[in-house]
Amino acid sequence: MVRPKMPPQIFRLVLLTLAIVVTYIIARYLLTPASFRQYGFYRGEALAEHASHTPVFAGRKACLECHEDIQAKLFKGEHKTIGCETCHGVGKEHADNPDVKLVKIGDNGCLRCHEASPSRPAWLKQINPKNHYREDKCVSCHVPHQPNEVP
Amino acid sequence: MSLEVTNIVVENLPRFEGYVYPNESGAHPLWGFLIVLYPYITGLVAGAFIMASLVRVFRVKPLEPVYRLSLLTALAFLLCATLPLLFHLGHPERSFQIMITPHLTSPMAIFGFVYAWYLMAVLLLELWFDYREDFVAWSQTESGIPGIIYRAFTLGVNDRSEKAVALDHQMSWIISIVGIPSAFLLHGYVGFIFGSIKANPWWGNVLMPIIFILSAMVSGIALCVFNYMVLSWVRRRQVDMRCLDVMGMFLFYALVIDATVEALDWIHRAYSAVEGFHVMEYMARERLFYTLSIGQVLVGTLIPLLLLGALQLLRKRVPENVRKRMYFTCASFILVGVFAMRWNVVMGGQFFSKSLRGVMSYKLQFAGVEGWLMGLVLLSLPFIILIVLIKLFLSERLPTSGHVPHRAENVAG
Amino acid sequence: MKHFVSRRNMLATVGGAIAGLVSLVAARTARGAVKKILVATNAPQDYDPHQHKWLMCFDVDKCIGCGLCVDACKTENHVPQGPTYFRTWIERYLIRKPQPGSGVTRGEVIVDSPNGGRDGFPPPTVPREEILKSFFVPKLCNLCERSPCTQVCPVGATFDAPDGAVLVDPNYCIGCGFCIQACPYGCRFLNPETKTAEKCTLCYHRITRGLKPACVEICPTEARIFGDVKHPVENDPIQAFIQKNKVFSLKPHLGTDPRTLYANLDKEVR
Repeated sequence: MVRPKMPPQIFRLVLLTLAIVVTYIIARYLLTPASFRQYGFYRGEALAEHASHTPVFAGRKACLECHEDIQAKLFKGEHKTIGCETCHGVGKEHADNPDVKLVKIGDNGCLRCHEASPSRPAWLKQINPKNHYREDKCVSCHVPHQPNEVP
Repeated sequence: MSLEVTNIVVENLPRFEGYVYPNESGAHPLWGFLIVLYPYITGLVAGAFIMASLVRVFRVKPLEPVYRLSLLTALAFLLCATLPLLFHLGHPERSFQIMITPHLTSPMAIFGFVYAWYLMAVLLLELWFDYREDFVAWSQTESGIPGIIYRAFTLGVNDRSEKAVALDHQMSWIISIVGIPSAFLLHGYVGFIFGSIKANPWWGNVLMPIIFILSAMVSGIALCVFNYMVLSWVRRRQVDMRCLDVMGMFLFYALVIDATVEALDWIHRAYSAVEGFHVMEYMARERLFYTLSIGQVLVGTLIPLLLLGALQLLRKRVPENVRKRMYFTCASFILVGVFAMRWNVVMGGQFFSKSLRGVMSYKLQFAGVEGWLMGLVLLSLPFIILIVLIKLFLSERLPTSGHVPHRAENVAG
Repeated sequence: MKHFVSRRNMLATVGGAIAGLVSLVAARTARGAVKKILVATNAPQDYDPHQHKWLMCFDVDKCIGCGLCVDACKTENHVPQGPTYFRTWIERYLIRKPQPGSGVTRGEVIVDSPNGGRDGFPPPTVPREEILKSFFVPKLCNLCERSPCTQVCPVGATFDAPDGAVLVDPNYCIGCGFCIQACPYGCRFLNPETKTAEKCTLCYHRITRGLKPACVEICPTEARIFGDVKHPVENDPIQAFIQKNKVFSLKPHLGTDPRTLYANLDKEVR
């Protein structure tokens, strides 16, 4: 029985193709990151990498640990929805080391929210800084932690 | 130095008009000249291959002189196709990841495989089977670097018997048949990349892949006409007029189909006028005026349609040298027009804001990786490679058995 | 004799292949182990992404356009400072009154977002008498159930995490920009320093530690509502929000099924 021989040019091509395919499979196995497909079609380590960044803002709960009295005052007034770092800036350094002081927000800080604008909702108390006691600082009449009180 | 390319003329336009999302309001587009270039190049590859398959599969005998030239053109451009993509990536050193972990829901992920398949299993293989007989002959007579190349390409097989050559031709025919859908896939997936982006109404359109493929075929045929005429002029040889006339005929009919589908796209958009259409229309009129109305429509479509159509009707009355000039003009115009079409698709989609309320005016730089200069260099690179390929594989002085543009006087077989 | 030699050859080849495969597996395992030791992250160890499904919602009527959230996000996440890189931003909508006798319900709609709203908004150019209504809309990743952005990533560098965040792996992203083009909401951008795609991560490093995202923490009016939908805490704000308000999502016709919900959204918002 005579087996039909594969023509030599085809045989060489088949060998070449096999070599390429095998190289590809090996390369794919070696180069795929180990944590790939752990949760889905991505590197599972990426979740841990994202979670490992250091937070910058301390968060309101951190302030609550020492400044409960101020929080109590805040909760009574209209500023109860405002976090501490909204006005005082990033508090992480101060939370780690209380000797580092935070800024009391400057004068323009109040205007950031309270400057009148036709785009702002009506429930927000707004003032026109040109007409509203231009000479004075906001804190001479208003207490930021308890806005319905006077100093 | 930066040129305002919103209308290719220098104008002082604001960065954007209306409202655009802040992340869109940068000075430069995310997908620039390089991404305009990539579909252009792969389109030329697909089109040139279709031209070659007209000979192999559909046995259009008059086109035989350009068979090998078309394949070599396709190869030269395919070899350069990855470069615009590599240069565009933020991390080209990670580009291998697209083959290692291809995300199969992404049309871009098939790039590595389709490219590898098309290069190795279609183009190189078809070329190899067509040239094998000549490689064996040339490896025995040529010396120096070309000799080494020919010997390497024989893969050590020196069989030139009739049976082997018949097998070569049959394999070439099979690969050509497989190659036609492969060519459509190679360029169609790029159209699908744009067509699948539902976020962008300029792009996300079911006709997009079809328009891409059709304009690719037109541009590929035009490139073959262009290359054939330039090669003949450089070599001071007579052009085969029958071949040129048939190429012109295919070019005309391909252009008719392409223009029809593109016009359909426009008519449908204008008629259904979904949200954002008025902004799109403003953008097409203002930002894309020179590249769309002048470049793509007038120069790239209408003028070639008229000239080629006239030639179809009046061919016998028009003297040869006038016909040659008309074919060359049309081919050049079409090449410019298809480039303008790619430009309009890629840049237009980015000028148009996803807020549906605004239009950007991105600038393209001259220098830098995403600039004009790099684009022009990358566009000329395939021609340089083609010159090398012609010197090696379409040399006039070497005897050959295949379909070549100009036969040497003392050819054997 | 010939037979014996070929069998030896065959054994050698097979043995070599097996040895090669074993060494490959060993090499890959070793590389993974070494990487684990060298790249020790300080990620919280007790966080299981399958136990949470985070969601952010907005009450448009409560947003006062102060822009502190945009600033806080840039600070918290070290986002590039330029005016075209935002993980979250505020849009201002100004709707003019119609011309008297024109028969239309509203006049021109002017939308702007100067520097994303980071420094607040300058006074509008339209005089107050001509304004029919005006409001602010905060924007960020819409946390789509069927994200088009993760669908199109060619390498698997951006993904939907099991806990609802849509993240980009900056060590795997190749910077092709496909996801940025595919996001209908414009929430992604290419970071010019890392040359990778970037977007809101819901402050993943904060929520995995029981903190709130920086923008939610800083917002003075509770316009941003954040919570866990899978195991809601007591008095979870998201439940109350959905129950009390008529809620909307952006571009629902695109089929991305955005989970981010807006209350009191005007029809002009895109």
